[in-house]
Parts: sequence; C-alpha cells; structure tokens
Amino acid sequence: MTGRTDPILRTDKIGRRYGGLVAVADLDMEIRPGEILGLIGPNGAGKSTTFNLISGFVKPSQGRLFMDGVDVTGEAPHRMCRRGMVRTFQHGSLMPSMTVRENILIGAIGALRGKVRSQRAARAEHAAHALGLTHCLDEISGNLPHGLQRLVSIAIAYAAQPRILCLDEPLTGLNQTELANVLDVLRHIRDESGCAILLVEHNMKAVMQICERIIVLHHGQMLASGAPLDIRTNEQVIAAYLGKRHAQ
Amino acid sequence: MDKRVLYSGAGAVALLCVATAAMTAGYGTNLVCWIAIAVLTAASLRFVMLIGELNFATAAFVGLGAYGAGVATTVMDWPFLLCLLFGGMVAVVVGLVFGYVTLRTKGPYFLLIGFAFTEVVRLIYTKVHWLGGNSGMVGIFPPRYLDAWLPTFVVAVVGVLLLALYAIEKSHFGKTCIAIRDNDAVVQSVGINVHMTKVACLCVAAFAAGIAGGLSAYVNNVISPGDFGFLLSTFALAYLKVGGEDNPLGPVAGAVLLVLLASVAMGMGAGEHVFYGMAIVLSVLLMPKGITGLIQRGWEMRRKRSAA
Repeated sequence: MTGRTDPILRTDKIGRRYGGLVAVADLDMEIRPGEILGLIGPNGAGKSTTFNLISGFVKPSQGRLFMDGVDVTGEAPHRMCRRGMVRTFQHGSLMPSMTVRENILIGAIGALRGKVRSQRAARAEHAAHALGLTHCLDEISGNLPHGLQRLVSIAIAYAAQPRILCLDEPLTGLNQTELANVLDVLRHIRDESGCAILLVEHNMKAVMQICERIIVLHHGQMLASGAPLDIRTNEQVIAAYLGKRHAQ
Repeated sequence: MDKRVLYSGAGAVALLCVATAAMTAGYGTNLVCWIAIAVLTAASLRFVMLIGELNFATAAFVGLGAYGAGVATTVMDWPFLLCLLFGGMVAVVVGLVFGYVTLRTKGPYFLLIGFAFTEVVRLIYTKVHWLGGNSGMVGIFPPRYLDAWLPTFVVAVVGVLLLALYAIEKSHFGKTCIAIRDNDAVVQSVGINVHMTKVACLCVAAFAAGIAGGLSAYVNNVISPGDFGFLLSTFALAYLKVGGEDNPLGPVAGAVLLVLLASVAMGMGAGEHVFYGMAIVLSVLLMPKGITGLIQRGWEMRRKRSAA
C-alpha cells in the first residue's frame, strides 16, 4: 500500500520540550494515503506527544508540520481536523451522558458544517453501520461495555470523515473476539474510505498483524522505521522494546 | 427535536396568556410578571449549564438588558418593542466580548470571573450619573396600550423565549453544547471550534437574560444598581436547583415555587430570610434532582408498576 502517492502529512524535525525534559526531538515522519501505520515504543517514548503534536493539541517547540505540502505548524486541533486529521484519545474518548447515536452525530456535525440535518444524520448512520453499532444506537454510551465504547470512539472519529485517522491505544482492554473485530473494522474503514490509519498500540501481535509500516520511538526519537518484518528483526528495536519473544 | 413537545408547549403558553389576561390587575398580576421574569433568568442560567459552566454573570446580563431598555425608553424615546430588543442586544454584545475573553477558563475560574464581572458592572451603574447613579433610573413605562396587557405580554414573551431555548437545546447546536460539557477534547478533535461554540451559547443565554432585564424594567418602572447584584444569580441558581436543572421545565417549577414562597415569607418580617433559606435547603436535600426529577421518578415508578 505504501509509496503510491505523496504523503498527506509530513513532519520536519518536529519536537517538543517540557522544561528540561525532551518529550520528542527531531522527528521526521510521513503518513501516506491509505496506509496503516503503527507508532510503537516503550512507555515515555513520546508516542502520545507525537499524537498531540500532529493533531494540534500540543504546539511544537521545534520543527515544522506539513499537510498536503502546506505548513500547518501550530494550527488549532479543530482546524487540523478540518484538513482531515482526526484522532481518538487513550482515555475518555466519548461523551458518556449522550446516546451512541448522539455521540456519532457529533463527529458528523464536525465534518458537515453548514450542511442540513439529514445529511449529518445519514453520515452518522453510515459510520455506525461501518462500525457495527446499529444495534445499540439509543443506548447511553457511558453504560456500554468497554469493547463497544472503544468502537463508539472510533465511530465518532470516522463520522468526521478523516483522511488520517489517529487511534490512541484502541485495543487496550479488549478480549480476543473484540480485538479481532476491531482489526476487521479498521481494515474495512481503510478500504471503504481510503483514509490512512495511524495506530499507537502496545499489543505487538495486533500491530504486526495489521500495520503495513511501523515507526519505533525511543527516548523521543525515531529508533527505526519500516515494514513489520524489518522491525521485528531489528536488533536495536528488540533490545529497546520488543524483547526476544516478539522477535520470533 | 420532538415537535409534539414544542406544540404542547406553545399550547400551554397560549393558555397561560389567556389565564393572565383574565386576571384583575393588582398584586396577583405583578406576581405573575415577577415569576415569569425569574423563570427566564433561571432558564438563561441553565442554558449556559449546557456547556458545563455556571454563569454568575447572568445577573449582569439581566442588568444590562434593564439599563439598555431603560436608556432607550427614557433617553432616546424609542418605540417599546425596539427598546426591549435593544436591551437584549446590549446584553448579547457585552456577552460576546465577555465570553470571548473569559470562556477559555472553566469551572470555578469562570464562575468567579462571572461573579466579579457582575459586581463591577453594578458598581459602574452607581458611578454613571446619566444612568441615575446609586438611585437608579425611573419612569420606564410601557406604552399606554399595554397598560392592561403588560402581564399577558410578559408571559407571552417569556413563553416564546423558553420554547426557543428548548428548540435550540434540541438542535445540533444544543447537542454540540452538551457534548462540550461531557468531553470538550473529543468535540475539538472532530473539527468543531469549541471556544466559539461556547461563546455562541453564552450569547443566546445573554439575550434571554437581557430580555428578562428589559421586562423587569417595564414591570417595576424603576431600576437601581442593587437589583442586579450577584444575589440575582444566586436566586436563579436556587430556582434551578429546586426545579431541577436536567429538565427544561426545571426553571419554571423552581421559580414558581420559590417566588410564591418568597411572597408568603414577606409577611414574616425578620423571619423571611430564615424561612426562604430553609425552604431551599429542604428542597435540595429532599429532591436532589429537583421537582421535575421527583415527578419524573414517580412517573417511571408508576410505569414500571403497571408493566409488572
């Protein structure tokens, strides 16, 4: 899937410091249309900061961010979303007091500003269908089991018509059946919409299974980048993060 | 939006207007006006709660509406409806600037800013001579043709604005406001400008509060800075807590009960405040979800019993 067109997003030596702490430094990465890209690394490696940097939630203290060749460094999150960069959050990625239908509708409202109600409702319906949530649309989202809540958070983001869908640990706490279902859903979303998916995840088996390219972060810097097989056999990555078990 | 609710509401407002029109002018009609104005003030406070903020500047917006309508009537001699609208628009314009600057803060910070803003605006009235200074403005009369119909007019305006607030709450804009209250980061991440949505929400509430202020100016014919201190916001919060903040009818239930209680307590001399305070404390303790919450719970229990 990779290398077929120009990247949608590109970072040029982007970085972020918090006082004396360097969270991310000199990171050069790009996301191409339709690819499923994994972002992995040990805790504190800078994955969440990278997510926040490229989605506009944190302003970089160095470097530039480009979308479609346009410099978008420092743009607000809602403006980044309007350019197609939509993200979910590791914790609390939905509106717990609202129904599933209303939750997904918020994503559609964001994407279809100035459009009529019926178009937004149709977009929300489509996203719910794609995520297999049509059976629980009138349930209060905060009352749903964890696995369904994860799907709702992805559905909200998908309803916002992403070109890059950034998912922050969407597989955490899922059982094997739910995990397999979410992976199927992600492939379906990518195939249906052609959007790129950036996945931050600690479940290495799933990452190796679904991602076409993986970036490994360590101490805020890129340690390696490449196809899953290359990453799995990279000595530095094995030493810093994967360990011998995942390398086999 | 449930159109049946909207039509039923419009029917109820029409009935109330007819009932008010049938009343003989006197203390009773004044009480109706005060209740209606209290309802609108509480509804304004509740509307900002949709974004999860407690807007103690509500009293300032009521005051701006009252002084705006007062100046337009006594100084500029504009037509009545234009004066009323002008009061609402003054509140909106000030609300726009106030909201744009302050709504980047949240929770207790926004509450304290609202409180301080109310007191500053009140102090400004006392220092401006052409606004009447400490004594306030007098002679804010409605037109002669409204003399007998003013209570009906007040009920109609408040009713229409309540229905409009309900319709906005049920619109996509209203849902976005509630989503901001629940999780503003997610709302921002799907391309919605959270800050400007909050500002728009505050402006809608400010308009309602401004109209409430304008109506109070015409009902009382005189306004003074002391009428628009932070206590007004505190009372509006009490109406909301007693009535039930989760339900659009909460401000109505709370304001009707507490304004009626206040009118009863007025005859108690020094015991008035104790009686009124006790009523609020008891209501909040015994009905944590307010009157509307209690009714809703009773309704659900009855439905479950009949289903079993």
